[in-house]
Amino acid sequence: MTLEEIRELIKVVTETAIAELEVQRGDNRVRIRRVAENRTPEVIYAAPAGVAPASIPTPPPTAPAPASSPASRAGEATPEKAAEGLLDPNLTLVKSPIVGTFYEAPAPGAQPFVQVGDTVQPGKVLCIIESMKLMNEIEAEVAGLIVSKLVVNGQAVEYGEALFAIKPL
Amino acid sequence: MDVDFVRRRLPGRSVVYLSSTDTTMREAAELAARGAALGTIVIAGEQTAGQGRHGRSWHSEKESGLYFSLLLKPDLVLTLALGLAVSDGIARVAGTACDIRWPNDVLLNGRKLAGILVQLAGSVAVAGIGINVNHGRFPAPLDGEATSLLLETGRALDREPLLIAVLESIAAYCRLLDQTGRQPILDMFTRHSSYARGKRVRVQHLGETITGTTEGLDPSGFLLVRKDDGALATILAGGVRPEQTASA
Repeated sequence: MTLEEIRELIKVVTETAIAELEVQRGDNRVRIRRVAENRTPEVIYAAPAGVAPASIPTPPPTAPAPASSPASRAGEATPEKAAEGLLDPNLTLVKSPIVGTFYEAPAPGAQPFVQVGDTVQPGKVLCIIESMKLMNEIEAEVAGLIVSKLVVNGQAVEYGEALFAIKPL
Repeated sequence: MDVDFVRRRLPGRSVVYLSSTDTTMREAAELAARGAALGTIVIAGEQTAGQGRHGRSWHSEKESGLYFSLLLKPDLVLTLALGLAVSDGIARVAGTACDIRWPNDVLLNGRKLAGILVQLAGSVAVAGIGINVNHGRFPAPLDGEATSLLLETGRALDREPLLIAVLESIAAYCRLLDQTGRQPILDMFTRHSSYARGKRVRVQHLGETITGTTEGLDPSGFLLVRKDDGALATILAGGVRPEQTASA
């Protein structure tokens, strides 16, 4: 099940009166439940063995979509570029293995682990995703060029959300 | 540190003792990368660059505290389980009832007694634990925030039995997590921590400051905070402080 399909399912719950929806495809099962008090749908994954299930908070349906992030600079991620990255079959997407907070540097004010335009080797640390003081250093799995950074420092990321697009060398 | 005593009490475990090192986290991560077994423990007499969250340091005065890292099986609520375990081990040896500030700061009389940080290294979790035992004082700016068992109880403690008790509790909580899943850990945390429900807090979260009242944990262990504007916030990482004495 792709992130896009799950987003579609969230949309169904958000735009209808459905309180809870469960969809199973093969080993993947996802349950989306509306939290009554603030009408925020909640996603609970039942992932295949070995993958940690995670609950993903989603924005309330009335939340306006941010026009553009003030933190994104020229040459960095924008939704449009992210979409381009997703469409280019030659790019490898680095995805978050957990729900958490994205950090581009080891400490506030420190140099980012990588920047757009950098060439990386397998094993190079790209960022940290923190969840409840569990620090998960995300490493490059392929040698390549960092083409885009798809999230902003300090941003919450979902399970499976694309963080970087890498053009393999 | 009587390392022979520790080794005798941990048969079959790989125990590495370093009288001084920069950080046990780096040593333990390197051992993990070389294929060291789960349960391997690295203990330091002192750390010259003890690690905290986001590049912060952990004050590691020579032979005053317990500074160690151990290799564990990863789990998303491992950090919560470790907070419970450290609190439990301290209670059994020192007879003190600690509070836990979500996700896992161990507090005594509102001040930080122990800190826990976990880093994933491939398929292994490297858990770093610092416990303030016999510190007579803390340098500024920690003096208002940190405390030790000596400062709170007036008694100096042997660190070795405390280390063994904490390691036994960690083994027990990890076994519970492995065998029964996350819910018992979430339930125990909710019962144990004054921060879980009904606590007025201020939280630095995703670049903003949230003020509100805690409303328990969600099924993943994230802290729910009812903001003063009525919205429910899901807190993904630390920075939770009581409303009155808020500081990041």
